[in-house]
Amino acid sequence: MIDVSALTIKYTGRKRPILRDLSLQVPQGQTLLILGASGSGKSSLALTFNGLIPHSIGEVLGGQVRVAGADTQQTSVAQLAQRVGILFQDPDAQFATLTVEDEIVFGLENLCLDPAQMEARLETALSQVGMLHARHRPVYALSGGEKQRIALAALLAMQPEVLVFDEPTANLDSVGTQQVFALLAQLKARGQHTLILIEHKLDELMHLVDRVLVLDSEGQIFADGAPREIFDRYAAELQEMGVWTPQVCMLAQELRLAGHVLPSFPVTIGEAVKVLAPLLAAHPAQSASSAPPTNASPRSSVYSIRDLSFHYGDIPALHNVSMEISQGDFLAIVGPNGAGKSTLARHLIGLLDPPAGTVFLSERDIHALEPRRLAEQVAYVFQNPEHQFVTERVEDEVAYGLRVAGLDEALVAEQSRQLLDTFGLARYARANPFTLSHGEKRRLSVAAMLAVGQQTLILDEPTFGQDERNAAALMALLRALNAQGKTIIMITHDMRLVAEAADKVAVILEGRLEFFGQPAALFAQEDLLARAHLNLPPLARLAALMATQYPHMQGWSTLQDYQTLTQMVRV
Amino acid sequence: MRMVYLQGESFLHKLNPLSKFLVNMALFTFMLFTSDPWTPLVFIVLTVLVLLILGKIPLMRLAKILAPLALIAVLFLLMYPLAVRQSLVDHTPLLWQWGPLRVYQGGISYAISTALRILALLTLSLPFSLTTDSADFIRALVQQWRLPYRVGYSVLAAFGFVPLLQSEVSVISAAHRVRGVHAAAGWRGAYERLRRYAVPLLTGAIRQAERTALTMDGRAFGALPARTYFRRMQFFPADWLFITGSLVASLLLVLVLQYFGLLGDLSLLKIL
Repeated sequence: MIDVSALTIKYTGRKRPILRDLSLQVPQGQTLLILGASGSGKSSLALTFNGLIPHSIGEVLGGQVRVAGADTQQTSVAQLAQRVGILFQDPDAQFATLTVEDEIVFGLENLCLDPAQMEARLETALSQVGMLHARHRPVYALSGGEKQRIALAALLAMQPEVLVFDEPTANLDSVGTQQVFALLAQLKARGQHTLILIEHKLDELMHLVDRVLVLDSEGQIFADGAPREIFDRYAAELQEMGVWTPQVCMLAQELRLAGHVLPSFPVTIGEAVKVLAPLLAAHPAQSASSAPPTNASPRSSVYSIRDLSFHYGDIPALHNVSMEISQGDFLAIVGPNGAGKSTLARHLIGLLDPPAGTVFLSERDIHALEPRRLAEQVAYVFQNPEHQFVTERVEDEVAYGLRVAGLDEALVAEQSRQLLDTFGLARYARANPFTLSHGEKRRLSVAAMLAVGQQTLILDEPTFGQDERNAAALMALLRALNAQGKTIIMITHDMRLVAEAADKVAVILEGRLEFFGQPAALFAQEDLLARAHLNLPPLARLAALMATQYPHMQGWSTLQDYQTLTQMVRV
Repeated sequence: MRMVYLQGESFLHKLNPLSKFLVNMALFTFMLFTSDPWTPLVFIVLTVLVLLILGKIPLMRLAKILAPLALIAVLFLLMYPLAVRQSLVDHTPLLWQWGPLRVYQGGISYAISTALRILALLTLSLPFSLTTDSADFIRALVQQWRLPYRVGYSVLAAFGFVPLLQSEVSVISAAHRVRGVHAAAGWRGAYERLRRYAVPLLTGAIRQAERTALTMDGRAFGALPARTYFRRMQFFPADWLFITGSLVASLLLVLVLQYFGLLGDLSLLKIL
């Protein structure tokens, strides 16, 4: 179906080619997963399939791409659009028109289809994504997941043979992610399309994948083969490259390192159950070695929220939320988009003014606290780091908070230099913040917010839209700050982060606090997880599947939890 | 545009956007030439009736929309007598004087007709703007008046950005407040704020526009010289009825005003 031979491409104005001498054949009906660190050219490769490279952007320096026999450089975009459709990452940037119906027929109109044929295609496409009821809705009123479904329907209406999914869930909450993955599974089951996936939530879709292609940072193929073979053979290399691997594969590697002999290498959760069952049967339940740490010394209160309610006009946003956040907590706030997470966080930093007697910071009512005193104690990091930049140089950005706090210039210079060092940004001191890479911008936004030594850090979706390597680096940074005693409050959709980093989790659903406690306890509440559309992180799902037979696995959710298993042999 | 468009199923809503646009432009142009207070007043009343009856706009909604427009007119009414060139009106009785400020009777009557004319010009645009979906208007422009479709659809895609940019601005403003940015009051503060918002807004918007362009290209936008349309825009009998009806009725009204001697001079540049 797709035949890439010796392809070298580059973007205008860049020195280095983004893909080099790359050859690849994808037979019809195959589901191919493309992996690679950010900047490895995954998306660019996808753009060559429907001819956007070179017809719209970039240039082909050598080689060619054939789709169903047609050379993409010689074929018009109109023809290629009927062969290859690409679903992109950003749900907001995929719409040419203002209503669902217009959007679906947009491509058909461009192809000069007879309007009489459009009605049938419109209905089929919408029902394939389960959105027939939304036909006359305006696009802006849809949720992120619905937008992606409509964007997919718009592609399906053009009846392409190849569908490319370029990180379609990266900007979605868990509800949207579930919707997109369910559609993917349906498409795969229907078997009419060749599917190309670029994703990093791998455990959720490994059962669909026939083949894995890994690109290296030079834009060449590092590995190409069946998923089992790739993750089995290259696990260490992949991790070093910053390429994500399914968590069950990481677990399998750990077990191997510990000396277990696995009958086969698992890549899906289902396979992992089969591999683990005999191990567990051979080694009967041991009492969990690591008892949950008991906090002997009572810690001081950071936030005390008492019966906080809030309405946006007539629309209720928070109902009687109460919670206690103590010093040194690592709290994750989870829940679907629009449930009230950000509204709650905004009350904590004074962007929304809580009524007297509802929110206390270190025992003092925020309502009566001067904004400046609040800012000295609490830092807030927004989802998009760019939104927070207020100066034109990295060093000024960090110094800004210090100057606002009224420190004298010598001290400002010294402290900001220290901060830049700590966050690995010293060599960009004079650069414009907007010229930094994605991960550096994120680090800078955290550094700038922590400049005056705030003890509490609130982050809104810190890993949103970040690649895996940056997300991991950021989490390491947050854990280090937490270890120093800082209180971290993090709004997130990523349940893996909740499992790995948080020691407390709050579930907000329709403005109500539905759960507050340890992550492991949340993972045991299937009802609530389903109601809040929260996915168990992969290793927690694995444990939950096995816990009926092996109750001591209840609540396992991270690699560390599986340590008792990996250590059994050594013991 | 979306900000003022009120969804509905009325006679006005169902008309072709272009017929509303034509009538709007014709009356608007005529109104520019009037100089008396009566013609604008009559057309304001007529337009309000059309909005209520043919457009089925709820009375309270309409009142809320008209209130700020009326306020603009009132401001004119208050300022105009002071701003008008003295030589034009100093032959009329002097009503009030305070130092060098003089208000003549002539100034007041100029002010009244100007304020009403401004209110009429604003009101006349409402049947079009309150009942027309911007997407339909662009579709009609492209299909019937040969606006190049590449231009039309670029505008449409840009409309999609408006709510995004709005939310972007409010987030940026919150983010800056959290950082302790306090803009100075007045023009300087406004300028500083604009400068600080511009870079993040522009980077976001450009990135967004690039992505949108790619998804449009990916669906064969602009690949062929022509395109077809699922919803064909055309003039129906109701449109012809609306256009001729409005124009004939307006003409009759003007003749009646003329008959009673209420229609003043018609001139574009009134007080030169």
